[in-house]
Amino acid sequence: MAVEQSDAELARQALAGSETAYRDLVARYATPAVNFVYRFVRDRSLAEDLAQEGFLRVYQRLGTYDPERKFSSWFFQVLRNITIDYLRVNRLPTASLDELQDESGRQAAVDRDSVSPEQAAQQGELAVAMAAALARIRPEYRECVVLRYQEGLTHPEIAEILRLPPGTVKTYLHRARKELADLLAESGWNTNV
Amino acid sequence: MTRDVRDPYMDRKQLEQWLAEEASGHDEAADAAFAHLFAAVPRIEPKPAFVELAVTSALRWRTRRRRLIAVAWSTVVLLVTTGAFIAFYASPRLAAAAIKAVTFTSSHVIPWLVAYTKVAMEWWWTIGRVGTVIVSAVVTPERAVAIVGVELVGILALFALLRVAGAGRLGDAQV
Repeated sequence: MAVEQSDAELARQALAGSETAYRDLVARYATPAVNFVYRFVRDRSLAEDLAQEGFLRVYQRLGTYDPERKFSSWFFQVLRNITIDYLRVNRLPTASLDELQDESGRQAAVDRDSVSPEQAAQQGELAVAMAAALARIRPEYRECVVLRYQEGLTHPEIAEILRLPPGTVKTYLHRARKELADLLAESGWNTNV
Repeated sequence: MTRDVRDPYMDRKQLEQWLAEEASGHDEAADAAFAHLFAAVPRIEPKPAFVELAVTSALRWRTRRRRLIAVAWSTVVLLVTTGAFIAFYASPRLAAAAIKAVTFTSSHVIPWLVAYTKVAMEWWWTIGRVGTVIVSAVVTPERAVAIVGVELVGILALFALLRVAGAGRLGDAQV
């Protein structure tokens, strides 16, 4: 049974000229990259384009990657810079909650096409509402939520990517959850807890 | 935290559990409950060609870069070789030709420059003399007295006007 190579090892091989290693690295990070960008630009095609740009920049700068650092932290930092640069130049139109819910619903429908009927049946309205609420919270909170709960990074890793103290990341996550709870309550997902 | 907690659906029970943990102030428990809940948020799968496209872009960039480096090196080698060739073989002949060219040019240009400067100076003096003649013909003592007189009258009129205007402003202020 083949042992899965670490990201740092794949990066080292890609830098040495291995096409296969770079392909593996891209395959490993394609979905996280597109999803990370998508949470900010809310456009699938644009998210893919920016993610492509991110991969190219990562490839161009593989020589500057320090293998002592976690590859994902470095990768998301590069991707974040590209997304921020894009958003600085192109301001996105603000959307109402209804529009966001519609959009998330459509997206969920698109995603359901690529999963099994059982999984599709299980994707509920709450997930759609959560995605819509996520699009409405402050961008710095959203970054933390996406990196923590979507990509599974730790507080110190998120702090490194966002160049924030770990304590601030923890605070942002706490406030983000609070805001998400309020937004879900606003959209009818209220509980009597 | 790993992605093993990913659950393909979320339901009200999970939502209630998360909200309960938030309300009780257990941050770590709330974090875990929210992670469980959030795992069901729909994720986008990139298009199937995404990986190939990224790899192709990278390889294209690498090829372009290699070509650019090769061209840069070739240019450097060419320049150095040409420079060395000039230094060893052509520079004595080139230097002699350059000195000859400078000497030839200066020997032709300097007399030309002196000749034209002389002509220009002569024109200048001629114009100066003509101007002196005209001035001496136009300016006579009578005309000079008349001009000075008109100017004095004008200055006096202007002074009077300013006084009248100043008096008007002062009068308003006193009211």
